[in-house]
Amino acid sequence: MKEKSGGLFAKEGTKTVISSVISIIIGMVVGSIIILLVGLSNQSLGISSVGEGILLVFGGLFSTGRNAAGALTFGFNSTNFGNMLFRATPLILTGLSVAIAYKTGLFNIGAPGQYLMGTMTTLLVALSIPTGSSTLYENGGCPAWLVWVLAFLAGMLAGALWGAIPGLVKAYLNINEVLACIMCNWIAANLVTWVFENSVLRNTIESGKTGYIYKTSYNGVATAKLGLDKLFSGSQVNGGILVAIILAILVYILMDKTTMGYQLKACGSNRHSARYAGISDKRNIVLSMAISGALAGAGASLYYLAGNTEFFWSTYQSLPDAGFTGISVALLASCNPIGCVFTGCFMSMLDICGLQLTNLTAYNEYITDVIISVIVYLSAFSLLIRMLLTSKKKDDGHEDNANADTESDAGKNASSGGGTSSGVAGANSVKTASAAGKGGEAL
Amino acid sequence: MTFLIQQTLLYAVPLMIVALAGVFAERSGIINLALEGIMIFGAFCGVYFVNVVQQAGWFAQAKENGNWVALQGFEVLALLVAALCGAIFSLLLAFAAINLKANQTISGTALNLMAPALVLFLIRILANQSTLYMSEGDAASWFMIKKSTLGFDRTADIGILGEIFINKVYLATYLCILLFIILSVLLYKTRFGLRLRSCGENPQAADSLGINVYRMRYAGTIISGALAGLGGFVYALTTANCSANGDVAGFGFLALAVMIFGNWKPGNIAGAALLFGLFKCIAASYASIDINGDGIYMLAQIGLSSNFYRMLPYLITMIVLAFTSKKSRAPKAEGIPYDKGQR
Amino acid sequence: MLLKGEGASRGLPFSKEKGKIIVNDKIILLFAIDTKGGKAMQPDNVIEMLHITKRFPGIIANDDITLQLRRGEVHALLGENGAGKSTLMSVLFGLYQPEEGTIRKNGQEVKINNPNDATALGIGMVHQHFKLIEVFTVLDNIILGAETTKLGFLQKKEARAKVEALSEKYGLKVDLDAKVEDITVGMQQRVEILKMLYRDNEILIFDEPTAVLTPQEIEDLLETMRAFAAEGKSILFISHKLNEIMSVADRVTVLRKGKYVGTVDTKDTDKQSLSNMMVGRPVQLEVVKDEAKPQQPVLQVRNLRVPSATHKRDAVNDVSFDVRAGEIVCIAGIDGNGQSELVYGLTGLEKCSGGTVTLCGEDISHASIRERGQNMSHIPEDRHKHGLILDFTLEQNMVLQRFQEPKFQHNGFIDNAAVRSYSDQLIGQYDVRSGQGSITVARSMSGGNQQKAIIARELDRDKPLIMAVQPTRGLDVGAIEYIHSQLIAERDKGNAILLVSLELDEVMSLSDRILVLYEGEIVGELDPKKTDVQELGLYMAGAKRQDRKGASGV
Repeated sequence: MKEKSGGLFAKEGTKTVISSVISIIIGMVVGSIIILLVGLSNQSLGISSVGEGILLVFGGLFSTGRNAAGALTFGFNSTNFGNMLFRATPLILTGLSVAIAYKTGLFNIGAPGQYLMGTMTTLLVALSIPTGSSTLYENGGCPAWLVWVLAFLAGMLAGALWGAIPGLVKAYLNINEVLACIMCNWIAANLVTWVFENSVLRNTIESGKTGYIYKTSYNGVATAKLGLDKLFSGSQVNGGILVAIILAILVYILMDKTTMGYQLKACGSNRHSARYAGISDKRNIVLSMAISGALAGAGASLYYLAGNTEFFWSTYQSLPDAGFTGISVALLASCNPIGCVFTGCFMSMLDICGLQLTNLTAYNEYITDVIISVIVYLSAFSLLIRMLLTSKKKDDGHEDNANADTESDAGKNASSGGGTSSGVAGANSVKTASAAGKGGEAL
Repeated sequence: MTFLIQQTLLYAVPLMIVALAGVFAERSGIINLALEGIMIFGAFCGVYFVNVVQQAGWFAQAKENGNWVALQGFEVLALLVAALCGAIFSLLLAFAAINLKANQTISGTALNLMAPALVLFLIRILANQSTLYMSEGDAASWFMIKKSTLGFDRTADIGILGEIFINKVYLATYLCILLFIILSVLLYKTRFGLRLRSCGENPQAADSLGINVYRMRYAGTIISGALAGLGGFVYALTTANCSANGDVAGFGFLALAVMIFGNWKPGNIAGAALLFGLFKCIAASYASIDINGDGIYMLAQIGLSSNFYRMLPYLITMIVLAFTSKKSRAPKAEGIPYDKGQR
Repeated sequence: MLLKGEGASRGLPFSKEKGKIIVNDKIILLFAIDTKGGKAMQPDNVIEMLHITKRFPGIIANDDITLQLRRGEVHALLGENGAGKSTLMSVLFGLYQPEEGTIRKNGQEVKINNPNDATALGIGMVHQHFKLIEVFTVLDNIILGAETTKLGFLQKKEARAKVEALSEKYGLKVDLDAKVEDITVGMQQRVEILKMLYRDNEILIFDEPTAVLTPQEIEDLLETMRAFAAEGKSILFISHKLNEIMSVADRVTVLRKGKYVGTVDTKDTDKQSLSNMMVGRPVQLEVVKDEAKPQQPVLQVRNLRVPSATHKRDAVNDVSFDVRAGEIVCIAGIDGNGQSELVYGLTGLEKCSGGTVTLCGEDISHASIRERGQNMSHIPEDRHKHGLILDFTLEQNMVLQRFQEPKFQHNGFIDNAAVRSYSDQLIGQYDVRSGQGSITVARSMSGGNQQKAIIARELDRDKPLIMAVQPTRGLDVGAIEYIHSQLIAERDKGNAILLVSLELDEVMSLSDRILVLYEGEIVGELDPKKTDVQELGLYMAGAKRQDRKGASGV
């Protein structure tokens, strides 16, 4: 606690935020450079389009289209804001999914598969139990809210089970969870297609929609809007975003305040010490992956329970982006659950920007994926960025030398024994030195 | 039967060469999770090169005259371009993992995200659609070696082996097999190979013997990138009619599984790749596989859903990993950034 | 690494009388040593390291150190852990570059930027932790980095002939085609020595080479070193073991806390004054303890078997013994003879394949780690692997086993205030020093204080059985004294202590009873008061064994 004198930069949280912001800025600059290069090398696009492209990458959220003169216009766009929140909902949850696994030492690249299984189960439940206001079934009586709750829980459960598989094979068969997750993703992709291929839930009412499953609103099931649609008129936003935020807070409490979180983190930081202390590492690996999977499944549930979203069931060739974006969301938030809420919103904002880019210019939405991947790339060494921030602000020998052998250990013993707070002590000694220097000059 | 063997080989060869790509990176101490991304990038670069050269009309004359030697040369050039681009792309991983000591799993994942995004962005800009094809004709008419190419008559009997190995094949397949053998020898019989392997096992020891660990790891990663890029293009050429769409259907990850199953040893990997190639082949064309040549498509008649066959390679991978992972022995220092300051 | 005055000479295998001291006439001629270095240059100094300063962030590992090595001498470098010996040698070997100071070879200033430069200058080093590639063969390890090639292809035949000749000449027996992971530690060390000889090195650095060897193997090694010196090679011998230094070295340079203390001839000094130089104060040479008053058995082990992680046969094979309340029983033996597995078997980290373990009258043979922890505390061998979660704060580490006790949690929510106050109390009681007290991240603490934190945590749990596995490894004398006194205090409180140690001095001075483990079996039970290191060594090497039928230590 003596580090307070170090000021804002000494705080770990601040450093994390700064390093994330740096990653974001570099990512967007790289995106702009690509737009510039493409614009310059492609005569049909021209210089003016480069400017517009870059403008939309940074400010697409505030875009309100083009005016009569054909120039881009900007301003508060409630549709964009509402849609940003709506699209952020699954991203926050897949982000949480990756984050919680990462904190327990596991890299959950299986979020897409868990998301798909969550989607499938949610849709099956939400569309199979007839409700009173159903257009699919003639005589149903189950209250819509109950079906909503059941479908949501079923989605979470399916995600949890699908997440537990890589956890189990990691814990008991020592298979790298990254590979296991990837295989599970593709198995899920084929499984979902298989299930829906001959399903009666394919949309046969609207013509040309057989590639899609019914919207849940056909069965009268849809997430409550809670007045958010009035706040952000013209958008798809609903109460799901609030559920996501509540789940983020719950995850934060779980990880930081409870014995369960303590055990999970202990296993993640050092599996051997955890075992030594009598914590079952295998159980916690499975548990962690199951919780992760449940969160990813919840993300899918909230997205598809919105009532106005459609699921393209033939998934065997591609995995849902929401799952992979979760990795970016988590890493950009340094795996902080609350941070995931903000980075989830940021990622969906990029999504919106990409759409504006496609709609309004000759560029396309994939540029935002490039930006996201650059951000993930940078977050791989965000630790380095954070360390650079640290070393600029104070001489921090202790952390750098963490793994040093006994030879230097004991040397540090000598140095750390004396000054309990190296930062403060260091600053003081610098002052004294300069004072002495001044004295020398005066003489 | 001929069809089955040829198809299996088509899938097995890119798997094999990309798995070897993984070996070179991991034996030097770098986990290359980005194989998938590099494949995607390599495939795009190769296809784009073919597309551009066709538009420039450089080989139009050769095509007209049926000068297949020139066309095979064209194919080799495209392979080289893909390898070069893969190598350049892998520098991103090498820089992050070696110089910045970044988490290799995350940097690899970043490249896996970056490659399709970049490729799709460029394809959309270049072709205004989501797949980049050859500018004219198809892979078979330009690059495939057929009986007629070799001067045989279309109906000539060239024996079963001839049918399998020289009719309707691609030169790339054989180049990859040759390259696979050369590189395996390089890994085990040369000074470079010995030093490379030492860096993946105990970089501290290698360093104390005056071996530049950073340089060896760069070498390993770049070779890995080149092979993965090459493998990506071979995959696109032989199984996707020389087109690129920012996707290789998890082939890079399957290659990683093949590498682990093959215990990081080239010989075992070749075997594992054939096995996986067979399953992939069944998944892709189970409906038209006629195993014993009696005109009955047995697998199709069993009546299992096509989804099951498509799922098969991934399921088998999981099962195979379950049986082998306890015995498998990864290079000891893989994934651990090497820091000169620490002993 | 405990120093003993009188006791140390008691039957130790090395003494001036026994060891042949090489009388090198050159050395006698040159008596005056310019400890300040610089101007006075001795023509027969092969290597001079002058005013070397090496800083790491936060510490000065070497502070103005001068060392001069003469041709054909064995020069010992003495100092405690953390004195800067290894850093200095790494500078000489090119692994580190010093901030200040110069290195000269044969009077010429040289720059050693990497191990290649060092090799080119004829400098070779046997590192404390062997630098071997486990999955390579012995031959591949020897040639690695100095390969003979034709067009890039390895030419192993010539290399094999050269290595075989060297091995013959110096009696360094190795199996060239075996994989390093399959050979003994002693042979691994011979591989390291052959690596230096293969490169025709003239200046040989041995960094703590005896730590892993049996007394008999140590004698062989010292003999080899003497043979090298007699041939005109120069040897730097890093050690903190005074007996070995007195036995083999011509001169000794002493370092303390990164600073140069002095260089003396072994002829003109003795162990007591060397240890005073090394520690900087008169050392408590003997562990002070009363006679043990053993009571009822706390731990009873019968026919225990524990499988090995690396090979097929059991690492612990049919082991039976008791540990009683109020005594310290020590498991002695050379590293890798089943000590770790025995501890894993007793603590539950590894499943036993046979036998029974009874703790406080309860059969715990199949109990979980947590259940066993009810009556047992465990100071683990590896404080980084097992002992601490380095990324956790000190306070989180202090409750590693206890966080589920009602005292520290309510309904699954951790009571941070209770954890903090408990941690603060332990920190004060056991004098654990760290940057920010309870909220210091364990990773940023020094090794000694990390170990103290573990000791505090484990002893405060106050369990009837304490397993202390190499509790003083890598610590300086002050910390060792402290930990020993704590263990004795626990014994006198009536707790049973099972000590596993590789340090013979610690075994001899601390224990009340010694059990020698050799290849997974207990081959002897010794009374430290009635035995000596020589005899202990024979048991450890498997050369001697008792028939322990029926003698289960009761």
